[in-house]
Amino acid sequence: MLMSAVFVETSVRDDFTFLVALSVATPRTRAPWVKSKSRSRDRVEDVEIAHENYPEPMTGLLEVQGLSRRFGALKALNDLSFEVRAGEVVGFLGPNGAGKTTTMRAIFGLTDLEAGSVRWNGVEVGAPERRRFGYMPEERGLYPGMRIGEQLVYIGRLHGMSLSAVQRASETWLERLGLADRADDKVESLSHGNQQRVQLTAALLHSPELVILDEPLAGLDPTGIDEIGAILVEQARAGCCVLFSSHQLDQVEDLCESVIIIDHGHLVVTGRVDDLASSGARRLVVRVEGDRTGEWATRIEGVSLSQANGGELRLTLEENVDTDDVLQAARRIGRVTEFVMQRRRLSEVFREAVK
Amino acid sequence: MKTLRYVVILVAILLIFSFRVWRRRRRHDATPRPVRLARREFVTGDVGLVMSRELRERLRSRFYIFGTAVILLVVGAAIIIPVVHHSKTTTETIGVVGPLSPATRSWVVTSAHASAVSVRFVDLPGVSQVTTGLASGSIDLAIVDSRELMVDNSISSNDGSATATIASAVAIRLGDENALTAAHLSAQQATILAEAGPVPIVALHQSSSRSVNATSLIGVILIFIMLSQYNTWTLIGVMEEKSSRVIEVLLSTVRPVRLLAGKVLGIGIAALLQATIVVAFALVLSKAVGSNLLHGTGPLEVVSTLVWLVLGYTFYCWVYAAAGSMAERQDQVQSLALPLSLPLIVGYIVSLTSASAASPSLLLKIFAYIPLTAPFAMTTMVGFGAVTWWQFALSVVITLASTVAVARVATSIYRRAILRTGSRVRLREFRRAR
Repeated sequence: MLMSAVFVETSVRDDFTFLVALSVATPRTRAPWVKSKSRSRDRVEDVEIAHENYPEPMTGLLEVQGLSRRFGALKALNDLSFEVRAGEVVGFLGPNGAGKTTTMRAIFGLTDLEAGSVRWNGVEVGAPERRRFGYMPEERGLYPGMRIGEQLVYIGRLHGMSLSAVQRASETWLERLGLADRADDKVESLSHGNQQRVQLTAALLHSPELVILDEPLAGLDPTGIDEIGAILVEQARAGCCVLFSSHQLDQVEDLCESVIIIDHGHLVVTGRVDDLASSGARRLVVRVEGDRTGEWATRIEGVSLSQANGGELRLTLEENVDTDDVLQAARRIGRVTEFVMQRRRLSEVFREAVK
Repeated sequence: MKTLRYVVILVAILLIFSFRVWRRRRRHDATPRPVRLARREFVTGDVGLVMSRELRERLRSRFYIFGTAVILLVVGAAIIIPVVHHSKTTTETIGVVGPLSPATRSWVVTSAHASAVSVRFVDLPGVSQVTTGLASGSIDLAIVDSRELMVDNSISSNDGSATATIASAVAIRLGDENALTAAHLSAQQATILAEAGPVPIVALHQSSSRSVNATSLIGVILIFIMLSQYNTWTLIGVMEEKSSRVIEVLLSTVRPVRLLAGKVLGIGIAALLQATIVVAFALVLSKAVGSNLLHGTGPLEVVSTLVWLVLGYTFYCWVYAAAGSMAERQDQVQSLALPLSLPLIVGYIVSLTSASAASPSLLLKIFAYIPLTAPFAMTTMVGFGAVTWWQFALSVVITLASTVAVARVATSIYRRAILRTGSRVRLREFRRAR
């Protein structure tokens, strides 16, 4: 009896030591045990659902090569090429009319191409590949008068899921997005944000290998943006290839590892957000009491004013500019309250790329 | 003979057209095509999914349930009201001034009974009582001294009321009786004359002309209502998928032709189901209440109506679907719907007007072989009993062949137009694109 009690105590202690060792060995920024446990269970279930239909592992590479598409005199896509790897959230950026939607449609075969190819894992994308992709078009994309639950089941079944798998998946997703009690409601009765959530669910229901979303964050409140953003990041972590377009560059900067920027149907910049931020000309943020225009800075050779926001001046410095000269010039205007070197923001990368 | 010539010309045109389609297809087949899925998968796979969604949504819609109920009500009323009206006997009160022989009285009662009218005689002392009686409505007509009839309002030649019918019959009878009396004939001679009837007309050839069977007429109306309704559903259904952009999600997994096939199949089954319910209801009800509206209805008329409903829908659904893919808004749909419904209306009106004639008109005979109007014209021809089995089969074959051609063109338009957004897509653009 005594022996067994000692044994139990030891084993408990051993487990505890093991857990502590594990938590030290794998540093986590935020990982409450209980929560992460239930989340991981959800993921396992999702992956199981996916494997029931598609046994292949979820790794992949999307290669878009030399896409060209013309609408009358307008060149919507002009020899556009880029790559997207699985496990990453990639922002697809460009000014209005740059060809983002046309590119996304081309990946799904929804527009005729004059030239170019789209490959998934080295294979030309066809109907079987597209069944394993998820697509969320810009706004709407659902039957307004159809019940939410039935609509999700219908779309999941079209992607080749079995009825039981799709029912389980849609219940899980609706539960997670707080829409479980709305399954029998029609889509048109939902708010804009909730419609967007259902649309996202329709794109992710079948645990796609590649998910492409056209403006998924448009018109959402900050909570909605956080929620959908978290789902996209989670999908990428689970091995999915996530590409989405957006004009909300601050959110894209927070969510994405990489970005692709296109203009006039042509690739202008691509790369990791970190690399793009640290590359290019140096950025200096200066705040001088009483000055809101920053005109003094533009008089210094090699310095240009990138932004002037309520007294905060973002300056771009060329290689040969000495920051001491800038500081002295600023002091001549007034008391300097802020003077700090900063990385390029994504919005700056974007503006410089498409100007 | 003239009709035969038209039919031969039509068949020749059709043969040339199908040969061209076949040749183009052969040329296409030379290039490698993606492997086609098995036929079973066509029904159980994505086409089946699209079809069952469409059917479920349609059957559940209030419009369908309400529409079916309204059609059943109208059909029920059309069958029951004449029966009720027929079985209701009206009573006519006849005032008699002066003598009227018992033989004449019994003749009036008997002949009125044949028209479901019962007669009551009231003996009146003089003409003044007749005038008052007619004015107050206590009597409907009066016989004065077996020489004169009096009614309140004058009787027109097309008056079909019980009073008018009896009055004219009695007037002729009394005139005959008075003439016989005035001729001072023997009783035997009088009887011979009274029983005089027309001599028979002997025809060398049996006439083929007869009026259209009521079932076929109802069939034509049913086909018109259903084709208009269900094709509009296809039109609006396709337009809604385009305008809600759900089409982009669907087409990322389903091929356009399969999506379209599933859609028209779903709506078609809903239409056929409604038609079957209506026809079965009409047949059972008319049998139950003993209506003679559908008297003499053979399985031929019913089957022909259903066959032409299916063929008509199959032919038109592709046209309407292609039109729907060109529009994105309700107002664009309306501008398309009118020209599309014109052939339906023309076929329907020509069939209805021809039905009242003694024999099928030449126009009807021609229309019976044109796929646009055949659903109405051929159904009417079957009602006339003026078609042989091979003529019926020929019209079916022409319609089926044209349906294949129309479906090919329509799916090609659909594929190009369904993803085009912005202004309405025009047919010209397809001609240029080719």
